[in-house]
Formats: sequence, C-alpha cells, structure tokens
Amino acid sequence: MTVHEDMTAAGERAVRAMQTARTARLTRRVVLRGAAGAGLTAGAVATVASAGSPALAAAGQQDDAAAGSQSQDAGEAGDAGEAGPVIAHVRNARTGEIDLFRGTSQVRVHDTALAAHLIRVSR
Amino acid sequence: MSSHREAPEISKDPVADSTDVYAFVSPDKPSTVTLIANYIPLQGPAGGPNFYEFGDDVSYEIHVDNNGDGEADVTYQFRFSTKLQTPSSFLYNTGPISSLSSPNWNSKQFYSVTRIDRQGSHALGSHLPCPPCNIGPLSTPNYEAKLGGPAVRSLPGGIQVFAGQRAEQFYVDLGSIFDLLDLRPLQSANVFAHALGLPNQPGVNATNHLNVHTIALQVPIKQLARPGKPVIGVWTSASRRSASVRGDAGEPSTASGPWRQVSRLGNPLFNEVLVPLGKKDYWNSQVPAHDKQFATYVAHPELAGLFPVVYPAIPPGSAPFANLAALVKSGKARADLEAILLTGIPSGIIPGFTNFTGATQADMLRLNTSIPATPKSSPKYSVLGLVGGDPAGFPNGRRIADDVVTIELRAIAGLTYPLVAPGYVVDPVVSKLTDGLTGNSVANKPKNVFPYMGVPYDGYHNPH
Repeated sequence: MTVHEDMTAAGERAVRAMQTARTARLTRRVVLRGAAGAGLTAGAVATVASAGSPALAAAGQQDDAAAGSQSQDAGEAGDAGEAGPVIAHVRNARTGEIDLFRGTSQVRVHDTALAAHLIRVSR
Repeated sequence: MSSHREAPEISKDPVADSTDVYAFVSPDKPSTVTLIANYIPLQGPAGGPNFYEFGDDVSYEIHVDNNGDGEADVTYQFRFSTKLQTPSSFLYNTGPISSLSSPNWNSKQFYSVTRIDRQGSHALGSHLPCPPCNIGPLSTPNYEAKLGGPAVRSLPGGIQVFAGQRAEQFYVDLGSIFDLLDLRPLQSANVFAHALGLPNQPGVNATNHLNVHTIALQVPIKQLARPGKPVIGVWTSASRRSASVRGDAGEPSTASGPWRQVSRLGNPLFNEVLVPLGKKDYWNSQVPAHDKQFATYVAHPELAGLFPVVYPAIPPGSAPFANLAALVKSGKARADLEAILLTGIPSGIIPGFTNFTGATQADMLRLNTSIPATPKSSPKYSVLGLVGGDPAGFPNGRRIADDVVTIELRAIAGLTYPLVAPGYVVDPVVSKLTDGLTGNSVANKPKNVFPYMGVPYDGYHNPH
C-alpha cells in the first residue's frame, strides 16, 4: 500500500468514524451550537441564533431528547472550538445535503429541515 | 511557459502556481539528488512594498514515486508562516537587511519540512528561515553572502534545504510562441508572420530578469530510491483547504476542511501544451497514478497537427512538415511521446539508457539516479539532454539549464518518433526548430552549488 493509499484510507476511516459517531448526534441543534461555538459559518449561525425561530426551538427540544443531555451538546460545541472553525456548505437544499468542514475533516450530512432552515434564515 | 499560469484557475492563484520542477543527480554531491519545485511565476523584482512570499495557507509538496505506480512513496511537505517585526510600519524593511535575523526586516517568513513515507510522518525541521526578497543594494546589500547563502540549512540525514526567492532559470520566447506559434528564428516561414513580411530574428527570453520562489532539497539517493531500482518519479503539488471564509472588518480569513490539490507539475509543458483548456483545471486536481485518462492528449498532441498548418509550403513546394503531416493524418498514436512522458523509456530503445518505471501511465519527471551527472566541461554535455546525446539531461530528470522548449518542440514535431518506428523519416526542418534561446539567454546564471538556482534579480537594477 502506498503513502497516498495509506493517507486516503486513513482519511476515509476518519470520516466514517466521525459519521458513525456523530451523524446520529449531529442534530440540527448540535450543528448550530457547534458552529456558533466556533464563531463560524458565521452569518448563518448568528442569524439562526438571533432569529429565535419557533421551528428551531421546537426542533431543539426534540434534538435534546434525542441526544440525551444538554452537556453532550455543550461538549460538541467545545470540540468545535478546539478544532477551529466549522464551515457549513448547503450543497442541495432539496435533498438536505450539507457539507461540514472542521479541522482537516469533511462530513456530509443529510437533513432537509436544517438545510431548509439555513436557507430561510440566510435570506 | 513550462507551467506558469498554465491553467485557468491556477493562473488566478500565483502563490500556489507551480512553474518548474527539476530533478538531477547533484553534480558536486553524486550520492545525492537535488529536487527543486518553483512557485509564484513572473515576479517583477521591483514588486514592492509587499514583496513576494509563499502562501501561509498553502501546503507545498514534492513527491517521489520509487515503485512506478504513480503514487507518492515519499513526500516532503512544506508549510510557511509569516511574522511581522514591526506591524505599525508599512515598510517591508526599515533599514538595510544585513542578516536573516535583522530587526530591520519587517516581514519574515519561516517554514517547516515534514517527510511522509510508509513509516509515517517525520518532522525534519521547523522555524527555518526564508531569505528576504532581493530589493536592492540599499535594502539587501551582499544579498547572496548575507542572506541567500545563509538560508541554506541542513536537516537530519544529510539533507540540505532552501526555500525562498531565486532568479528564474527557465527560458522561453513566450511573447513569440503564443503569438500563433511564431518561432522568431523561423518566422519568415510562419504563415502569419510571412504575411506581415517579418524576417527571421533571434529569440527573446521573456522570463529574463524575473524571479520565482524556489523550494529545493538535496537528499541522499538511498533515502529516495529502492535498492536495485534506481529510477524515481518526481512531481510537485500545492493544496489549499476545501473551504474558506474571508474575514470581516480586518479579521483574518478562515480556512477549514481537507486539503485539495490545486496545482501539480512533473514534466515541463505537459499541462500547458498537451492538455486541452477544458481539462487543465481538472488535471491539476489529479495524481499521476490517474494520468491514463490524459494519455490520448499525449498520443495525439494538438501541436503536432499545427506545425504543418502554421508552417506550410513557404516557399511554394517546400512542404517543411510533410512527413509530420502524414503521420498526424494517419492517426497513429505517438508511442514515443507516451514513453518519454508517461512511462519512461524502456531499455533497448536507446543503447545503455532507460528510465522506464513500468506500465502505469503517469506524468512524472523520471530520473535514473544511477546515471552520473555530466560535467559542463564534458563534450558530452548538452542542454538538449538525451536527444543531444547527454543521458544526464531531460527527459532523464531535468537539469536547470536544459532547453526543454526546444527538446519538446522537436519531439512533438517527430524527432523521437523513429525510436518506435525506425522507418519514419524526420522532416529536416525539425532539427532547426527552436525558439532561439539557450542557457546564455538567462542573465543570472545557475549557481554551481546547492540550491543551484541563480541569485534573484534585485528591484533597483531590474525595475522593468
């Protein structure tokens, strides 16, 4: 196996691990808090945070339940801060395809509600 | 040019734009090879007050393949960081810069070197100083003795390294060649120049008195080549982070995500002359192992079909490229060019020579490290390299003074086709094809010692 294969394989393993470990927890609220904690995606997150959207609040309550605890969310936000900024790219609002860039990783999530919300609040 | 501004996207990103790659057995240290990757093309030496620097947000790499699969087995990675000495001053320097630690030098750049191989990632050096740009006799007096020379540093394992501004050594009559393939020494036969009555003229080196930024390594051969396999493939690449957000109100920009390759270079002129415009940006994103997808552009180079058109029968009846035109019309693949650029030349084609790396088609500069350097004083030395009878030159690696423009013009025009088709008769005009330049067309000549690239031109004497 060559160096590039090694690096590619390692990268793919890292992405899979992140997806496995986090995608389930990477709910809308976590994504937004993590992003905000990193000072990031800035416009969109700041807008979301200040929008006080009822839909987001409702989604947040559901997400808290799904994630299990408030501290877990805080932990995610803390991680984002340590790893540097997180940048979100809504690739396709219709399918909910969103790329998250953090450190040297890229994670793709599918969340139509989150994508729609980001599009809505960024108008 | 070799690879300066060769693709639409990278032409807008000069900091990450690779211009030339060189790989040769070091003439003064024959147990080592020298690997050079140049970036930031066409620097006017007087380009202040913000003189040229490597990108702090770019990952620069020099790769070596030592098993012929077109993948990197050894990678040297360079990362840069810039420090301001006096942020309150608008000046690059506030007095003469007499040493690399001079407090008068405001904008200093440092770098780290990491080797990545099968055993993992190994930090070879950090906080290594780049020299300043060569500004002029008042700001950078005794440039090479006080600044350029001291920037050559030693790394563990007998490696030498240098990163900083150097004189452009690649020579080409850019203004003429991209003016409808005009070659000044032959332009009375160019159909467009002939219509204007232009006579044959000497070539003009468009890159003379310009600078580039050089990353150079001198590495023991045994750290690169495998035992019994002396041929290595070399290329460079530059990468940027996937996502970036410009800072607001003076805040720094933010970058995140995986590194994405935005520039690469192995053989000179490959992407520039062979790959079509619509594919050039994509080519820059690929690794050599995937170059089979571009092989058709090597096997059927567009340029070969242009010579007979642009240099038709002048005077009438002469048909200078008749045999080339017939070869192009036949549709036969240029197996000679495929070997030279994509696989290396197998043994048995040229007596006593090979730089074959296997069946994998990959654009790499292939260097047979078992072939010693040819002294410049030797009658065998030729800037035309292998086609000039000198096996130590291009396409066996590439030396700084090799005339790769002339070599590749002639090769594409059919000079090397008899290697695979012995019955083919090369058009006599092919041996005269040139843009009319040689190493003497470069004002600041290559140095005889590492990093070999010439002393950069200063802005005071080269204001353009």
